[in-house]
Amino acid sequence: MRLIRELERLQAERGHLDETCLRELSSRLGVPLYRLEGLVSFYPHFRTEPAPPVTISVCRDMSCHLAGPEHVAATLRKELAGKEGLAVEEASCLGCCELAPAARVNGHPCQLQDAAAFASSVPEGDPAPNGEKPGRLCDPYGEAERYGVLRAALESPSSTDEAERIVDALQRSGLRGMGGAGFPTGLKWKLVRGEEARPKYVVCNADESEPGTFKDRVIMEELPHLVVEGIALGAFVVGAEKGIIYIRHEYGRAKAALEAELDRARLAGLLGSGVLGSDFNLEIEIFVSPGGYILGEETALLEALEDRRGEPRNKPPFPGQVGLRGRPTLMNNVETLALVPGILRRGVSWWESAGRDGHTGFKFISVSGHVERPGVYEIPTGTTVAELIELAGGISGGRALKAFAPGGASSNFLPADHADVPIDFETIEQRGSMMGSGALVVVAEGTPLLPLAANVVRFFRNESCGKCVPCRLATQKATEMIEATVESGAPLDWPVIRKLNLLLGETSICGLGYVALNPLISVAEHWPEEVPGCSVEAPE
Amino acid sequence: MLRRSSRIGSGQDIVATRGSGEQMISLTIDGRPVQVLPGATIWEAARTLGIDLPVLCHDPRLEPVGVCRLCLVEVGEPKLTAACVRGAEDGMEVHTASERLETCRLGLVELLLSEYPVDASVLPKTGSDLLVELAAELGADWPARHRSGEAGEAPGSRTEPAGGIPAGDGRALDHTSKVIFVDHQACILCDRCIRGCDDLQVNEVIGRTGKGYQTRIAFDLDVPMGASTCVSCGECEKVCPTGALSLRGWETLPEDAAAPAVEGWEVL
Repeated sequence: MRLIRELERLQAERGHLDETCLRELSSRLGVPLYRLEGLVSFYPHFRTEPAPPVTISVCRDMSCHLAGPEHVAATLRKELAGKEGLAVEEASCLGCCELAPAARVNGHPCQLQDAAAFASSVPEGDPAPNGEKPGRLCDPYGEAERYGVLRAALESPSSTDEAERIVDALQRSGLRGMGGAGFPTGLKWKLVRGEEARPKYVVCNADESEPGTFKDRVIMEELPHLVVEGIALGAFVVGAEKGIIYIRHEYGRAKAALEAELDRARLAGLLGSGVLGSDFNLEIEIFVSPGGYILGEETALLEALEDRRGEPRNKPPFPGQVGLRGRPTLMNNVETLALVPGILRRGVSWWESAGRDGHTGFKFISVSGHVERPGVYEIPTGTTVAELIELAGGISGGRALKAFAPGGASSNFLPADHADVPIDFETIEQRGSMMGSGALVVVAEGTPLLPLAANVVRFFRNESCGKCVPCRLATQKATEMIEATVESGAPLDWPVIRKLNLLLGETSICGLGYVALNPLISVAEHWPEEVPGCSVEAPE
Repeated sequence: MLRRSSRIGSGQDIVATRGSGEQMISLTIDGRPVQVLPGATIWEAARTLGIDLPVLCHDPRLEPVGVCRLCLVEVGEPKLTAACVRGAEDGMEVHTASERLETCRLGLVELLLSEYPVDASVLPKTGSDLLVELAAELGADWPARHRSGEAGEAPGSRTEPAGGIPAGDGRALDHTSKVIFVDHQACILCDRCIRGCDDLQVNEVIGRTGKGYQTRIAFDLDVPMGASTCVSCGECEKVCPTGALSLRGWETLPEDAAAPAVEGWEVL
């Protein structure tokens, strides 16, 4: 954490990291030059050239692609060409897909069409918090009651009994990880609790970067107290005294909201040594990611926290056993942690009854793409995709639904006749896709799907860390092949695409590689007429 | 600046020694029982049975990294696992040969070959090129050029498709070191030279620059090798499994070698 923070500090101070600055840092800290080169060239946040006073970052990924930004960006570039002190650059998904086509001007999110005007009056400094917006269903508290579950846990005569009671409640609730993998939360807490090595850590994964996904950002902006309490409860249960919130650098507002909440918690005696007069100690700090989708992969995230290139580790061992600095580490997604206080406060039966038709609990879903009111919706699990699209104002321009991705860029596309699927882990899996990070990307009739699939594959190519052979090479090969087909209409060499897909799925180190071609394969499966050369009879 | 604290061994010290007092781990590999000391990897355990799993990124003198994926084996889990990094576990049933594994190994080799200069196969360095040997062993569909390596012939960067996978090229040659010749196109990013330089010799010169497909090995702040703090110890050349790092004495310069190999730097 020290080295990456030092690089960030130097960049903030000097605008960029030039050779002199890196050499000086190398001799000051005794860090070899190759390590600095490895970090600075790996993380997109670092720059070795001076930045112009105003930089417009234009999102090039899924939801923004659906909003047609490719020519918008080109138009913008033309419009701004030759303007002094202004640069336009392409960026991976910025996590504000509700603004699609989205851009950031010096870190401030806006709609691309407003970027040029915004650029002449861009505010100084980081974005301020939006202000809390109470009223989400998962928040069990009036303002005065906050941290009630933590208070009760610390007042309990036996912290062992209390920790076991919490684990038991979470296991009975069936709560699963909301970051994409869906691992049972209660079991994870139990496993890390059972580890003997000390110290232990809790890491809140706030690095959501999957195209179409922005729910964690909204949760952190609106409900930061639930995130902080979730971390505290996790630390209490597993026996950790240190929590780290790993947040992507684009989330300035969410970070500001969390910082304000941590200050409040500190003042209220909820952080520090002897929390609320008990013998439980807890410090929570925020670590800003230097960038990249792959950092959301939990072991890549740990590598970044240890000042290395964010390249996923071979697993096992899993972070619960061997995590940060080799110690047992409880890693949970923002939403997962934010749901814990509500479940414990209102009880497992409340959580069970919160879902519909036998489904359990609530789910935050980021809705983007071709809908009238893109945004984050908190829905009872079991709500159908069609109903959620209605909630989001229906398909934009009154068009019909053609396809949807229920779990962001890595989830398989499903055709419109699957819109009756109830939103839950198993139900979506049964239809041949996944809930993933809870990001519904809606595609209207009339949208060609091969360019969209190419866009997704290109995203994974751009975001591959390059550590393992299959992902580093196969994502590039597949991108070249699909782009050539999109360009010329010439048939795809389908056996080779299938071979690349097999290698990615079977031999990659992490999930990025596993899923990279899934969306393309699903397009070939459901819309073979749109994929020249694909063999319909035997798609994978 | 060692990245890991642990056992860098020869692979020979993991076999049972009577009276060592340590609890042994019992597993089977392809149905054959084997006992190893705790901490041994599946790859090491297999070696004690005479099973040589293919590897490009591993060398017994180095801490394993599991990036080339060629030593993948089946251990009864849904996912394959890299034998060089995965610890042997009690009761584990390991399978090292199957149609699934063969398909994956051949495919991985083809992926690497599609980026590999066909001429690198004749680079007369120390006489071996593990990637080309493996390609021949697996019967990969790739036009290796087995030239004699006579004077006047130089390594090039021409690549050809392999197994139908389109070829990729465009990475540079670096002639700037007086001792080592670098062909970035022949580099498979196995990480061996990096561990050789930084962990074994503790010279701390070689790392990686860039990300994803753009990743390359780099010296210091990505300067040409001849301009770096390299002390020409030769360890990187020794551990390199391909034609990426070779001794200059063996290498014949291309005719236009007078041109700077890396923009902005003079050839020495």
